[in-house]
Amino acid sequence: MVKYLSSFLCLLMILSSPIILQASKIFPYDYKVEELENGFKVVSIPLPNPNIISYYTIVRSGSRNEVEPGKSGFAHFFEHMMFKGTENMSPEEYDNFLSEIGAGTNAYTTDDYTCYYVVFAGRENLENVVKAEADRFINLFWDEEMIKTEAKVIEGEYYASVSSPSRRMFELLRDTAYEKHSYKHTTLGYLEDILDMPNQFPYSQLYKKRFYAPDNSILLVAGDFDHEQLMTLVKQYYGGWEKSSYTLVTPEEPAQTEAKRAHYDWPTQTLPMLAIGFHGPSYSDENIDKAALDLMAEIAFSRSSELYQRLVIEEQKCQSLGASFAHRRDPYLLTFNSVVKNEKDLRYVEEEIFKELERLKIEPVSEEKLADIKSNLKYSFANSLDTTDGIAGSLAFYISLTTDPGSVNKMFDLFEKVTPQDFMDMAKKYFQRSNSTVVTLTGGESR
Amino acid sequence: MKKIKMISFIGFLALAFFMTDACTKKPSGTLATELLPVEGSPMISFRILLNMGSANDPAGKEGLCHLTLSMMAGGGTKSLTFKEIQEKFFPMAAGVGLRVEKEMSVFTGTIHIDNLDKYYAIFKEMLLDPGFREDDFIRLKTNQLNFLEKTLVGNMDEQFGKEILNLMMYTNHPYGHHDSGTVESVRRLTLDDIRAFYQEHFKQGNITIGLAGGYPDSFSTKVVDDFAALPEGFDPQLELPALRKPEGLEIVIAEKQTPATNISMGFPHTIGKSSDDFFALWIACSHFGEHRQSLSLLYQKIREERGQNYGDYAYADHFIQGRLKFPATNYCRQQQYFSIWIRALANSNRHFVLRQALRELKKLVEEGISEERFQLVRKYLLNYTRLYAQTLGERLGWQMDSRYYGYKDFLAEVQDRLPKITREEVNNAIKTHLNSDNVYIAIITQDAESLKNDLISNTPSPISYANPNMPQKVLDEDLVIQSFPLDIHPDKIRIAKASDFFKRTGIPESE
Repeated sequence: MVKYLSSFLCLLMILSSPIILQASKIFPYDYKVEELENGFKVVSIPLPNPNIISYYTIVRSGSRNEVEPGKSGFAHFFEHMMFKGTENMSPEEYDNFLSEIGAGTNAYTTDDYTCYYVVFAGRENLENVVKAEADRFINLFWDEEMIKTEAKVIEGEYYASVSSPSRRMFELLRDTAYEKHSYKHTTLGYLEDILDMPNQFPYSQLYKKRFYAPDNSILLVAGDFDHEQLMTLVKQYYGGWEKSSYTLVTPEEPAQTEAKRAHYDWPTQTLPMLAIGFHGPSYSDENIDKAALDLMAEIAFSRSSELYQRLVIEEQKCQSLGASFAHRRDPYLLTFNSVVKNEKDLRYVEEEIFKELERLKIEPVSEEKLADIKSNLKYSFANSLDTTDGIAGSLAFYISLTTDPGSVNKMFDLFEKVTPQDFMDMAKKYFQRSNSTVVTLTGGESR
Repeated sequence: MKKIKMISFIGFLALAFFMTDACTKKPSGTLATELLPVEGSPMISFRILLNMGSANDPAGKEGLCHLTLSMMAGGGTKSLTFKEIQEKFFPMAAGVGLRVEKEMSVFTGTIHIDNLDKYYAIFKEMLLDPGFREDDFIRLKTNQLNFLEKTLVGNMDEQFGKEILNLMMYTNHPYGHHDSGTVESVRRLTLDDIRAFYQEHFKQGNITIGLAGGYPDSFSTKVVDDFAALPEGFDPQLELPALRKPEGLEIVIAEKQTPATNISMGFPHTIGKSSDDFFALWIACSHFGEHRQSLSLLYQKIREERGQNYGDYAYADHFIQGRLKFPATNYCRQQQYFSIWIRALANSNRHFVLRQALRELKKLVEEGISEERFQLVRKYLLNYTRLYAQTLGERLGWQMDSRYYGYKDFLAEVQDRLPKITREEVNNAIKTHLNSDNVYIAIITQDAESLKNDLISNTPSPISYANPNMPQKVLDEDLVIQSFPLDIHPDKIRIAKASDFFKRTGIPESE
């Protein structure tokens, strides 16, 4: 403990005055990017924090990569398999190693990427973490029996989610809105595919070879370490990882030509729910479309918006109302969702959302509102950077989209260029009835 | 547009470790403060800790504390409507958080220093001059009712199970209702009840003002001066009745149509973080079921070996998850409980897994912890707790909890105490405070009568695997588990419709 505090003391002396880094950038920390010969990119953010290191491995494979029939949910399934150990380190040894250093560790799978993180105290543990993580990414060992057992865990995870109607509704929205693209299913996958996972050992081998490769993965390390030491270790332990060179082709989603509707009968009590999705653009830090839509979502549907205030606070028709225009590598849904207090108001709320979208096509947003939303986004992002995890997690998302850690700064620069005219143009371009999918959910005593 | 002063505040969190924290000892009836100034940090964290919670709800008015405090965090002030507050907060990306617990509640907020004055002017008004407006009251009361009637029983079974366990453990006890109250009691609440509760409890002696970050020197004085406008006085600590320990295995089954079964079980005790025995019991429970970590024995036996569900955990005391998987802060209470959380599993395996969890608990009590596991878990906790307090809010929260438990710094106490604990002390704590014979068990499932019959008759409960080559060791143990006898008297199993819970206090009557 004394040694631990002593290392802080040195940092304290260095940090006796505020450090202002890249003051014009939303992401204020210096970072370094290096790439190994095998294509493994390393993003390093040394920080003068109290002896804590966040070690994130980003594999650019998520449910988007599940393009073959019957394979939905496989990216998430393989995330589980990544904890099964290697010939050098059994799962028990891996668990014990992480337990001994008191690491916080987990993984998560998204549409576009799978992320593994280890958060730990003590730069003296860095080499062993690099060694263990490199070992499992390069030398993972699993067999058919392990696949069969772990598949039941996925089934259990699915069951843990089945009491959430919003999750079911979101599944139905995607399934209805998409015809071909792999965004049609969620990261958990279809239940029938989950039930078939015990039989997917051969595919798991193919999956690992295709996607768990240095040219499809990025290491992001933030915290109290020396960059040169990190790179020496990374080259030593990841240098032998073989490239994949596999190219994924995702199915092109045909343009939607007519409005779609779907309904979910929830078996027990719930408040009625509504979701509306429009096919939108993919993430881009160059094209204005996504940036303008992001700002529009906040202006028109956040808690300070006129519609929210009217439907939630004044008329009290809704318990919640919001919009989510998530960043994705391929064209994704612009979604609106609401929890409505009374089933008879579902149609009313739906029409009010459509009316608001029509208004956005013809009424310019005030410059004052525009300034407010830009301010909100900047402070929101700044507030998320309060830990090494906050920094690594925020950046991991943008890195997964483009592989470029500078993308977050480019996106916020693009926000600055958005004008009221852009809102009207984007509303006309994307918010057409024929491009919409409406999903409702009612159940139990809400009827 | 104005540029945000983007300062690397990670560095200032490092500094926070060296700041001399300032805490005023709390004299009866006047404000207490917990200050963690971090010069140069661009952020300021507020935690206004209240010595009140749902246990302060008057009989028949369960949910009153929650609704009163919700009216402050989610309603207008005397001069501002809630709409106006949200419009003002929006450019700052600000808000006011609230958590209501049994004996403690906390308002939280974090703001960039650019906006400190603007934010605080509203924050202060929300707490010191709440509007208690009719329209806010109707909205928030409806939300609270909807949560009890629809969301909790229909949409979140894992939490539902934990709340049933709470009802079982604390029958006829101030803890014995949901923090949001009951449908009947909330329906009866009036705006006058809200005003009266605020008048009665919002007194200086019930409040600790917590501030952390780069606020100016004069700011903390200003905050204290403002809050000193509240009347002096305090509520004496609640006198809680003696704990009602389970007599045998007492089971409540909430029946609903569901493909998955959720189980929570446990029993009350009085070993909180201020108790000498806590540290030993904590090591035991971390070994047995560390929250969402593979270190957990239950996780290894139920999930990893058999693939039964997503995870299985155990807790030495009341636990609320905070950032990532670390414990949150500021939910201290006088009386505690041990619990096991079995996450959703296929209905077909519910009897087997219940047997397995109770058998593992029995083994823990009888055999204790091995030397190897003791050394591993102790080392784990020593290192893992170093990650607990990374943000300003976390550091401030732990500092406030430390005061409650009587430590200068609980996390430093961990570093001091754990190395001195022996395996024998851990095993003594297990023997003294844990048991597998007298346990409250809450189950959410379908076909409740069928489960009841299986439990009473001790019907063998074999399970099957997709893997035809399961390790023989596991299969051999399964043979023991599937017939592991549970001594359950028929009168100790109660079945109630899930939709009947939380309508009034206590467990609903069986049909």
